[in-house]
Amino acid sequence: MDLETVKERAGPRQFAPKDDMPEEYRKAATRMIQFHANSEVMGGYLEKPFIRQAPSIDRKLAFSAKVQDEIGHAQLLYRAAESLGVKTRDEMLDELARGEGKFLNCFHYPMESWHEVPMIAFFVDGAAMHRQATLKNTSWTPYAHAMDKVCFEEGFHVKHGESILSELMNGSKATQEKTQAAFETWWPRIIQFFGPTNDKSVHNDFAQEVGLKTKSNDELRDTFLDTYVPKAEKYGLVVPEYPRIEYDEELDTYHVNEDDLNWDEFWTIAKNASEGSHEQINSRSQAQAAVEWVRESMHSWEGASGAGTPQAAD
Amino acid sequence: MIWEVFRQDKPGAYHKHCGNVHAPDRELALQFAAVQHGRRMKTHSLWVVPHDEIGEIDADETSFGGTTDKTYRWATSYTDIEPAAPEVAESEAEQADVEKSLEADS
Repeated sequence: MDLETVKERAGPRQFAPKDDMPEEYRKAATRMIQFHANSEVMGGYLEKPFIRQAPSIDRKLAFSAKVQDEIGHAQLLYRAAESLGVKTRDEMLDELARGEGKFLNCFHYPMESWHEVPMIAFFVDGAAMHRQATLKNTSWTPYAHAMDKVCFEEGFHVKHGESILSELMNGSKATQEKTQAAFETWWPRIIQFFGPTNDKSVHNDFAQEVGLKTKSNDELRDTFLDTYVPKAEKYGLVVPEYPRIEYDEELDTYHVNEDDLNWDEFWTIAKNASEGSHEQINSRSQAQAAVEWVRESMHSWEGASGAGTPQAAD
Repeated sequence: MIWEVFRQDKPGAYHKHCGNVHAPDRELALQFAAVQHGRRMKTHSLWVVPHDEIGEIDADETSFGGTTDKTYRWATSYTDIEPAAPEVAESEAEQADVEKSLEADS
């Protein structure tokens, strides 16, 4: 199929592995889905330490279930990416381990306290789900199928994240202040989740032309703000003055003033070149090494070489 | 001699225990089972098993686990939280459908 035909036919679930897709399409789809899969892995690893730090057994159970789900989502997505025939699942996992695989900006920052947890578990997951719901209509059918399953599970994640936020914001004054401080730190990153404005985005146009994306960065960011700004305020969080967010009465939507955001930081992160990028990639690599004995014992079960010395998992 | 009877209603479905028959041997047990347990309901196949051949272990003898409450895994459990966005509500509705069908099966 040539590119013109692809653009003509582009629509929800239009293309499948049986179709002969042009290289440009397959590469663009691989880049997008691999990024998504990598982000699921890195998000899971960022949240994993909080299984141990959860303040109650209920939170611990729910959080452990959630982290497990995220890693499962990564598996689904690597399979969907693999079906494009550009890279194998192993190649993509190796790229991630070598620090070459790209992933979501928010997962390049360390997360240190429980007060920060809802910033990921509610706002970032809410943003992710907002985007993923539109990807049920992506043109690459295996990707859309993965989104069906992912969105089915994400409802629990977002509600659980909101439940944590609600608990913290109904806590002591000190707890509320720490949560507000965490919110101020994370808020600009959360807005940058949706990437740069349309005119600065590198891959946006093509991805939309061939139906991989159905909504632009700007549309997604604005509608996210419409829902989540009132939610933040409902729990007593104060939206920081910067970046400036303006309510457009005519269009009944919020806009962010892009110039108030730190785009140098964003583009450094996009190259995996920030301090946090190295930290997150290395910490995953350490966790991988710590459970190497599990993989080895599974291999030896299947007939390969024996196991090494067990280490703590984190 | 008692024979336990398991009925399958369609190909590929599970054989479910449906009762027993008294019979001196397998041949008669199969005939009795067909008459007593196969006629009244749609039946595709019956398994007929000598009662003494069935092994049993119960909750008094061991702890089975498998009873962990996993309600935390469902969006529907967080009743004090209104879905933040339409896509969250949609996910919750899908989960509620599955919960309903699980309840209907049990």
